[in-house]
Amino acid sequence: MPGDHRRIRGPEESQPPQLYATDEDEAPAARDPVRLRPVYARAGLLTQAKGSAYLEAGDTKVLCAVSGPRQAEGGERGSGPAGAGGEAPAALRGRLVCEFRRAPFSGRRRRAPQGGSEERELALALQEALEPAVRLGRYPRAQLEVSALLLEDGGSALAAALTAAALALADAGVEMYDLVVGCGLGLTPGPAPIWLLDPTRLEEERAAAGLTVALMPVLNQVAGLLGSGEGGQIESWAEAVRLGLEGCQRLYPVLQQCLVRAARRRGAAAPP
Amino acid sequence: MYKPRIHVTVEPLEYYRRFLKENCRPDGRELGEFRTTTVNIGSISTADGSALVKLGNTTVICGVKAEFAVPPKDAPDKGYVVPNVDLPPLCSSRFRSGPPGEEAQVASQFIADVIENSQIIQKEDLCISSGKLAWVLYCDLICLDYDGNILDACTFALLAALKNVQLPEVCINEETALAEVNLKKKSYLNIRTHPVATSFAVFDDTLLMVDPTGEEEHLATGALTVVMDEEGRLCCLHKPGGSGLTGAKLQDCMSRAVTRHKEVKKLMDEVIKSMKPK
Repeated sequence: MPGDHRRIRGPEESQPPQLYATDEDEAPAARDPVRLRPVYARAGLLTQAKGSAYLEAGDTKVLCAVSGPRQAEGGERGSGPAGAGGEAPAALRGRLVCEFRRAPFSGRRRRAPQGGSEERELALALQEALEPAVRLGRYPRAQLEVSALLLEDGGSALAAALTAAALALADAGVEMYDLVVGCGLGLTPGPAPIWLLDPTRLEEERAAAGLTVALMPVLNQVAGLLGSGEGGQIESWAEAVRLGLEGCQRLYPVLQQCLVRAARRRGAAAPP
Repeated sequence: MYKPRIHVTVEPLEYYRRFLKENCRPDGRELGEFRTTTVNIGSISTADGSALVKLGNTTVICGVKAEFAVPPKDAPDKGYVVPNVDLPPLCSSRFRSGPPGEEAQVASQFIADVIENSQIIQKEDLCISSGKLAWVLYCDLICLDYDGNILDACTFALLAALKNVQLPEVCINEETALAEVNLKKKSYLNIRTHPVATSFAVFDDTLLMVDPTGEEEHLATGALTVVMDEEGRLCCLHKPGGSGLTGAKLQDCMSRAVTRHKEVKKLMDEVIKSMKPK
């Protein structure tokens, strides 16, 4: 792109061939509204990161790595009343710094590598959803860095990133109250809209509204909620949240299995 | 009692020298031996071509997206190939998020040089209509795990991804002068040469070892990367400063690079043959 002297220059602008395609996109196939796509989760696969996790749900592929705790950037803050359980006072608590990044080849159109405001919004959503689960009081004046990389966007990308980030934090040995499980929903357009659980990319593109729910399964508390679009009545959104929470609960055993397997692998590989 | 774990932290160079005296390295490899190489082609369905390469622990993924652009004014019948190497913070704690650092820029320029010098694709093949429309191939390489020898992994990933790229058929409608794309009919790229990179690390100004890990790169006094194609022609030589090398040593490196090329080509042909046709 013009002006970016740190990268190899290409043409000033380019258009994807899909704009000129002669045939229409296929409509998404009808399906059971509460089906969850099969999930493959694996923790502890990167050697250079403290904790890592890879999650694949249908076509969506997300890789997440955690590093730290490291000295927090930013000035000293004043002390306040100490928290329960020997934790640092509220002002000295640790921080969670999240980054959400889409690979340039992850979507239909190529995206610039540096990312834009959408990635920053999603990174903030990640941070807000993960903070309730992490015992930040145990990491005073330190910061934990979570980076999520979306390799392929097959729908429900934020939900997959949330789940992968929680798995990576658990794999890194960070003290947590509970895991965080994410689930995406999409509202079908048209006269009789229904909420679809775990939408694919085609369904998400055509949806009238979208919602991502993050749940802490054991504590049964909602950690994060991000939604937008024309959803209609309040009851419709409440129904969507209920569906999302059920979806998260159904996903939880898979993640437990994944962490147990990772711990076994680490135990077997450790020197005697 | 000899305690290797303490020795490697306190005096890493001495620790390495003990192994090098026996002509081997701490991970059990010989000086001329590569780490286990695996490649996985075509896993990203949103990309036009993709490949994931693992060289020991070093993991690089390459995704190629093809778009339309106007050919450059000084070369109206050529397309573009735009490489970009990304070293995100998740691959190693030494990288920070933000614009590409020095190492990423060096790697991107190296890949651009390899593409240009080896003529892996003739840019004329990418032209659809001279002066009006051409293909631009954005090759984005992302390192997922950094354990040394990033240049070899990137070159291999790029080659495998380009071999996987399928471009849809395009024709220019004479009446409307617009392009018409048929996404159902796709064809592979014409890959003319297969450049393969072999990297070396120089130790104590004299010893050469192939495929350095992250720690070996850190302790090395110099580095060298040789890129060969299948006819034993040298496409690119990358020697960023460091200790000097005699002509004889350089010849040794080039012969090792020729052997490595055969190994890599065999692996890639096997993988492509085993893939089910789309």
